[in-house]
Amino acid sequence: MSSALPSIKGSYFDGQTSGKKDVWLYYKENGLLGFTDTNITETPFASVQISSRIGNTPRFINFPDGAQFETNDNDAIDVMVKTFNSSLFQGLIHKLESAKTFVIATTIGLVVFGWLFVQYGLPYTSKKIAERLPDKASHYLGQGVLDILDKQWFSKTKLSDEKQQVLQSLFQELKTNIEGSNNYKLVFRTGGDIGANAFALPDGTIVMTDELINLTDDNLDIASIMLHEIGHLKQRHSLRATIQKSGLAIFIVAITGDVSTSSSVITAIPYVLIESGFSQDMETEADSFALDYMLSHQINPEHFAIMMEKLIASFSDKYIDCIEQTEEKSTVLECIELAVEHNRATTTKPSKNLLDYFSTHPSSEERIERFKSIAKH
Amino acid sequence: MENSVNEGSHSHQPFEFTGKAVEYFSIWIVNVVLSILTIGIYSAWAKVRTNQYFYGNTLLDGNAFRYTANPVQILKGRIVALVLFLIYYFASLSNPIIAGTVFLFIMLLVPAFVVMSMAFRLRNSVYRNVRFNFQKDFLQAYKVFFVPILFAGGYIFLVGQIEHLQTDDAESSSNLVLAAISIALVIGIFTMLPWWEFIITRFKVVHSQFGNSDFSYTASVKNFYGMYLMASLFSILVFGVIGLLIAGIVQFGLTEQGEDPSAAIFGSLPLLMLLILPAYLWLFAYFQAKRTNLIFGNLRINGHQLNSEMKTGYLLYLYITNTLVIMLTLGLMLPWAKIRTAKYKASVTSMTVAGDLNQFVTTQEQQQSAMGEEIGEMFDLDIGF
Repeated sequence: MSSALPSIKGSYFDGQTSGKKDVWLYYKENGLLGFTDTNITETPFASVQISSRIGNTPRFINFPDGAQFETNDNDAIDVMVKTFNSSLFQGLIHKLESAKTFVIATTIGLVVFGWLFVQYGLPYTSKKIAERLPDKASHYLGQGVLDILDKQWFSKTKLSDEKQQVLQSLFQELKTNIEGSNNYKLVFRTGGDIGANAFALPDGTIVMTDELINLTDDNLDIASIMLHEIGHLKQRHSLRATIQKSGLAIFIVAITGDVSTSSSVITAIPYVLIESGFSQDMETEADSFALDYMLSHQINPEHFAIMMEKLIASFSDKYIDCIEQTEEKSTVLECIELAVEHNRATTTKPSKNLLDYFSTHPSSEERIERFKSIAKH
Repeated sequence: MENSVNEGSHSHQPFEFTGKAVEYFSIWIVNVVLSILTIGIYSAWAKVRTNQYFYGNTLLDGNAFRYTANPVQILKGRIVALVLFLIYYFASLSNPIIAGTVFLFIMLLVPAFVVMSMAFRLRNSVYRNVRFNFQKDFLQAYKVFFVPILFAGGYIFLVGQIEHLQTDDAESSSNLVLAAISIALVIGIFTMLPWWEFIITRFKVVHSQFGNSDFSYTASVKNFYGMYLMASLFSILVFGVIGLLIAGIVQFGLTEQGEDPSAAIFGSLPLLMLLILPAYLWLFAYFQAKRTNLIFGNLRINGHQLNSEMKTGYLLYLYITNTLVIMLTLGLMLPWAKIRTAKYKASVTSMTVAGDLNQFVTTQEQQQSAMGEEIGEMFDLDIGF
């Protein structure tokens, strides 16, 4: 009997115990399945369950009585399945997995898609979403941010009351020409370890550090930084960044999937790499806002370029060494001039390299250059 | 029938992993693409297919393991987990009090997640047409997890209190009391950690079954204290050496330049990172290897004994090379890394079989919800063996 019928070698488990029997499964043209040289009753093909093919892992056939047949002969099972069930979808996933050209094309496609998605798709979508969300969303995000910053980094400002008043009225003046800026407010703090910097918090608060204010005695320089921060606020960059981060996290989980065997360090790496390059276009947008405003209100764009150069120089060894000698205000200005000069003399023409991608402020030189070149015209 | 196995002779059966990197790559890439095209819905099917590939390639005594989870159930579990996670995520963005409350609430649910997750995973694992099982003893789970949760909760609460008090240092005496309590708490946590890990592991093992046979656990709490002691000694040694190095550099910097020592420290930072990173990775691999051996080397069922001889050194080598290769190929070699890790894990595991493996008796099966497992995964709880 067995010689005439197609048959498949495997193990038989009766569903009661783990006891194993080596058997031959045969199948007849009328769709009945049975086992050679046993007294097991024949079963129609339609009432058994056959596991789908995954690589070359064993196949399992489950019988209605709880019994199971296990075999390594995947091809023979495929032939049998084809005989009784000619459905197009039968084993479709396995067909995709074993088509070499499909796999190669998919791999290339995925790499290209991944890059496009992270580079353009995600920033664009989060921008659109951020623009459509109500003001409340931004405000909600910003709750308590200043408290945390105050606790961790900042201390009370040491600026004189007159200086603060002058800058506040300057800020009010800028605001009168900007739509939807009513709830924006300006606060001063001593930056401490943060140094010279300015922040736009999601709830509309702009924080400027004393260290930044002290870098210049020209209030228009400060105004240019205010405009840059207002640019961040107007375009809801913090909300956008949050949406972008969440989207990226979801995307990475989708790709790496169930990476339980490799450590979580591995999944964090691409995230960090991409994340750090993200805010680049947000900086450019905020710059554009400041630039447009300055041009339409007859403020020389050079102010921003000067401030950027000073900000960068304020973190240089030259400046820190100089400032440690004394802390009087006149020397702060002298020191920063010195450090800026030093930087100008030593920096070579910026070249685009791979490292640019990994830094949050990758093209400070380019940003400065943008304002300078327009100032010259 | 169960006694008859002990009379037979003992034989040594190795575990074997037969998966191939190229083959798995194809499965992985199709999974990824279909998951993206279906905005993540296919990922439940992808998980099942991946597990089926890894189970199906794990052989013992000529037969493969089998994963039988229903993708639809996994999908449902994932949706619930995602909703919970989003709530947690947005809570954590808003304010620390809400975030803390939500976090504590999730912590309280951990024991239930563990039980549900173990049950789902084991009841969907089959070998030789006999199903694994996990007895859902929620009460016992809460007893086992009670003290750790209490300590962790207390710790989080105290940290919040201390931060609160630091801002207005009006009452420095109560500040001091809090500091003393929190130090005692930290010491308590560290001395009890090995014991907790032991009772939690034992809880998971003794509630596991294969067919109607119970697993028993032969490790003792001493083994766990030994593991932590060894890790602590190593840390003290390595970080002591690093501390001495820093002191030496500062000293050198002072005498050489007579200037600010911080410049010297920052200058040598890359060198120190080169020392700290391998030490950290070694600790990670040590715990991983030792834990695996403590769990799988001490399982007994019906007179059969599992053996596990994972080596820290080789695991460390695997982790480092895997990470480097995955980084350099932007994730495309992930399948290769998973396959070689699985190969190594199988190669160090074996079973001393008393008689043969034919004597296990099946039990009736029940449908399980995938919720616990999916929530556990979402919050990175690492449930399972």
